[in-house]
Amino acid sequence: MSEHRLETGDAASELAEIKRRQAGVIQAVLVPRWYWWVVGLLLVPLGVVTDSHQRVATAVGAVVVALIIAALSVWMITGAFRGAQVHPATLGSGGSLYIVGFVWLVVGVTLVTAFGLQAEGNRYPGTLATILAAALLIIGGPILMSLLRRAMVERSPAAPR
Amino acid sequence: MTEPRFDEVIHASTRLAIVSLLAATDWADFKFIRDGAGLSDSALSKQLSILEEAGYVTIRKAFVGKRPRTSVSLSKHGRRAFEGHVTALQQIVASAGTSLRVG
Repeated sequence: MSEHRLETGDAASELAEIKRRQAGVIQAVLVPRWYWWVVGLLLVPLGVVTDSHQRVATAVGAVVVALIIAALSVWMITGAFRGAQVHPATLGSGGSLYIVGFVWLVVGVTLVTAFGLQAEGNRYPGTLATILAAALLIIGGPILMSLLRRAMVERSPAAPR
Repeated sequence: MTEPRFDEVIHASTRLAIVSLLAATDWADFKFIRDGAGLSDSALSKQLSILEEAGYVTIRKAFVGKRPRTSVSLSKHGRRAFEGHVTALQQIVASAGTSLRVG
């Protein structure tokens, strides 16, 4: 049987190395900033088309935008984009709640704004609501990623206990 | 709480880098690990073979279109070993001023 003696400093260095490697992975698998810009900017033309009251154009636009966003999101979520998928234990239930909460926040604020503007007789409720949604995504998306990164690094097994 | 267990297989610096990367992921491409760990193709292949022999990783080879794609994931056994190793390291650090004898 081999015997190994490891000093405190060596163990601390090894833990720091593990933490550094895992932080690198977490940073790499986060959704990049451009994703939020693409999704946000795709929503605005949909809002414009909706305000045109052309049903066919609105229906086609909604399907096209939904398909592009879905394909892009699947590409991100499955890890195909980065070549790795984050482990559910790394993300944790708190991380999942951040994501779900953010999606519901954006959807909720957009719908409330659109219907509110429509009720007030505004001529461009769809356009204005989707501009707000785009702003929320572009500003909030990177903030969400920052929160997730912090939460995941804290969940790292090598994090101080 | 995970039982502390110093692991000689994981302790080696290149394998520590690989296993640390894999522990944060569900799976990772060969290229992702190679770039993340800063290893050459041959060095990574060699280390992955050792980890596979120990039962710590599962290697899957598939084709995406015409391109071969190798993905690697940490097995349950590998994940337990990693967690045990980390716990052992934390225990050593917690008992500062002393050293832990493992074997």
